Amino acid sequence: EYNDRNIRVSNGINADHPVGNGIEAMQKCLDEKSGGKLKLTAFWGGALGGDLQATQALRSGVQEAVVTSSSPLVGIVPALGVFDLPFLFASNEEADAVMDGEFGDLLNQKLEAAGLVNLAYWENGFRNLSNSKKPVAKWEDLEGMKVRVMQNDIFLDTFQNFGANATPMAFGEVFSALETKAIDAQENPYVTIDTSKFYEVQNYVSETKHAYTPFLFLFSKAIFDTYTPDEQSALRECAVVGRDVERKVIRELNEKSLEKIKAAGVEVNTLSPEEYARMLEKSQVVYEKHKETIGAEVVDRVQNILADMRKK
Amino acid sequence: MQKIIDTFYRVLEVLLIFFLSAMAVMVFVNVVMRYGFNSGLNVSDELSRYFFVWLTFVGAVVAFREHAHLGVETLVVLFGRKGRIICMILSNIIIIAVSAIFFWGTWKQAPINASMTSPVTKLPMIWVYGIGFFTGAGVVLIALERLFRLLTGRVTEEEISAFVGEDMSLEHLSERA
Amino acid sequence: MTLLVFIVSLLGAMAVGVPVAFALMFCGVVLMWSMGMFNTQIIAQNMIAGADTFTLLAIPFFILAGELMNAGGLSRRIIDFAIACVGHIRGGLGIVAIMAAVIMASISGSAAADTAALAAILIPMMAKAGYNVPRSAGLIAAGGVIAPVIPPSMAFIVFGVSANVSITQLFMAGIVPGLLMGIALVVTWLLVVRKDKIEALPRAPMKERVRATGRALWALGMPVIILGGIKAGIVTPTEAAVVAAAYALFVGMFIYRELPPRELPHVILQAAKTTAVIMFLVCAALVSAWLITAANIPAEITGYIEPLIDRPTLLMIVIMLVVLVVGTALDLTPTILILTPVLMPIIKQAGIDPVYFGVLFIMNTCIGLLTPPVGVVLNVVSGVGRVPLGKVTVGVAPFLLAQVIVLFTLVMFPDLVIAPARWLH
Ligand code: NA
Ligand code: NA
Repeated sequence: EYNDRNIRVSNGINADHPVGNGIEAMQKCLDEKSGGKLKLTAFWGGALGGDLQATQALRSGVQEAVVTSSSPLVGIVPALGVFDLPFLFASNEEADAVMDGEFGDLLNQKLEAAGLVNLAYWENGFRNLSNSKKPVAKWEDLEGMKVRVMQNDIFLDTFQNFGANATPMAFGEVFSALETKAIDAQENPYVTIDTSKFYEVQNYVSETKHAYTPFLFLFSKAIFDTYTPDEQSALRECAVVGRDVERKVIRELNEKSLEKIKAAGVEVNTLSPEEYARMLEKSQVVYEKHKETIGAEVVDRVQNILADMRKK
Repeated sequence: MQKIIDTFYRVLEVLLIFFLSAMAVMVFVNVVMRYGFNSGLNVSDELSRYFFVWLTFVGAVVAFREHAHLGVETLVVLFGRKGRIICMILSNIIIIAVSAIFFWGTWKQAPINASMTSPVTKLPMIWVYGIGFFTGAGVVLIALERLFRLLTGRVTEEEISAFVGEDMSLEHLSERA
Repeated sequence: MTLLVFIVSLLGAMAVGVPVAFALMFCGVVLMWSMGMFNTQIIAQNMIAGADTFTLLAIPFFILAGELMNAGGLSRRIIDFAIACVGHIRGGLGIVAIMAAVIMASISGSAAADTAALAAILIPMMAKAGYNVPRSAGLIAAGGVIAPVIPPSMAFIVFGVSANVSITQLFMAGIVPGLLMGIALVVTWLLVVRKDKIEALPRAPMKERVRATGRALWALGMPVIILGGIKAGIVTPTEAAVVAAAYALFVGMFIYRELPPRELPHVILQAAKTTAVIMFLVCAALVSAWLITAANIPAEITGYIEPLIDRPTLLMIVIMLVVLVVGTALDLTPTILILTPVLMPIIKQAGIDPVYFGVLFIMNTCIGLLTPPVGVVLNVVSGVGRVPLGKVTVGVAPFLLAQVIVLFTLVMFPDLVIAPARWLH
């Protein structure tokens, strides 16, 4: 049983982001299931407000859905801070298995308690570092570097712990700050380094993979609960269809962006497994400091799951 | 009574001075620290924004009391005294309605703001978003009192000329451009 | 249909004298009610979220800088400097007014404050030198409205935040058009006074000119700090604003010594009140902007003007005419706040450069400050210069025309804005 529903989906990113492909695939799936009755109307570039504001609108039942990364929401669900912890996941495969498995369900329960239904985990991806000084191959290379980070406690601590001067700065100001050398470095997924043209004003890109951020496809619980069971399961199933498309596109795009960055003459390096391990080791103080806030059981759980996976 | 009210607004004015000065000092110190000492205060970006919210919404009540919010007086100035009073009554009713809705919405949203903390200072966001209680209630009270005097024929000539934008001070003009 | 609800509720409330901010809230309430989604939380949440934006902090700081500039004697030094430079030329006091207006525009973002400072000093001098007083008052009004076009500019900040356009880029793009406005005013002035019987000021001796320049140097340093700092990427616009305020405070208090510490609370309070009025309006506008977006009103309008989307120049002409009409009755900030969420999606769809559009849009709303019935800058000149409003309105006519010509020249030749902006950024 399906009713006519106009579902407003707020996005902080622009329509040309792979999330656009995901929403398109999701809509196609919904059309087939509901005979065109469930309609997604996407708003891009924060037209309906920032991610946090939109999420609050979901909680109060004002708006239906938002696609947001986990970081802005730690003030609402502290457990989501787990994704800000440095060097948590080592590969796409690890991330997928953890997000789509029991750990993802655990977080979904916490989101639900805050009035948010998470339909599926989409992907923002691994964050890497670019700078104008030197290749970063070990944590010591970050000492004294002026790095722009998101306004986020864990990110600030992570980079300060490596001896960097971590500065929060509005995203819109980053390009000119890099260009004029007001800051040396920034960290973002390859796609962002490409689309925001940061590579034009940077000499080095280091594949640090220091954080993995998921996108959450959140629905207002207040509104979701008024939908029929058919509608609810169609939304959940089609969000998974959209997820698979979005992850595929964003990973292809990451490769393309990396090629473009290389072609522009930027020196790209990766971390050796030993140095990666040393960075993780060095970061344990950050884990300890924030374990309490995130929830000790959450941090332990994900680390146990990862330890089991890595044994196999 | 009048003395208490005047004292209350004096206190609000002192608050406004404090908010703006503190914002300026925090942002300025951050610029100096970033360039002079290669460091910064993580709380200053966040706290200065919250001061800004309080400044705006406390100031909005003070400005409402002083008839300082910008209006378009093109039409009302054409009316005679009676017409102007009718417009003032209508206008106050609309202001009371929307301000009450603002207050009510703040009330309904209070639980979700109380259960969210800010990223750096960990302040429960109700401290920021709860300012809607003050502004909503403040404007409703002022407008109710005006409405009461309008309906009982106790409105002053100064109020009427302020309503149609006559004799605006330079301060009020400078708020408009 | 939703478009009609939007227009009628907003204009209706404003017509009975509801202040614009409350009228915007009312319009938001009516819109959500008519869309069948009445929820008081939409009002509460969007109101406060609107003010919780770091970029907007530039507004109180630039307002403070402007207040301190006037209270600390910086404006006076700038005008003295302009007199020493060009006061002795025939019709020189008019050129002085524009030169000072342009310099002050590069320090402050407020048309009314700049105009008041210029009018208070220059109108009596011009009257004494035999200039036609209403015409002089008109010139000063027209010079005053350059302030929001040349950075720093509150108008650009408000537009940049609501349209999601880089404020740094808007600032850089505003410089050349602002200077063009100044040049057009000087040319028009020299044309209209060429037959008047006026006496030029005696040419100041070299020593006096050097002294006036020396005294003004501290004030002239301010645009260098603001624009240089932003251009070099040393500071963001918000930080530049606070540095400007600190600098004006320092110069006013310790160099010119015209700002006694006991007056400081009053200056800060005035800036705080002005900030609250502007920001409350911004917040209320974000409520209606959210509903305009959720109701897809821009798409509705795009439907009506479909044929124009492929002809950007014609579209720009139509939009500029609409803004001119709206500007006759509405103040600068409300015009920006009400029209931006409606126009921006159309501008993007037509492929017009948002920075270019922003500059022309702001220039147009500034011209609105000079058109009756609601022309705030005319009121300022009339009040400060003690010239009847009707006479100022007549006096400003040739200069108003000159600025409209500049505006439409830029509509026809977008490169006049875009090329220098690219070069400066
Ligand atoms: Na300016
Ligand atoms: Na006007």
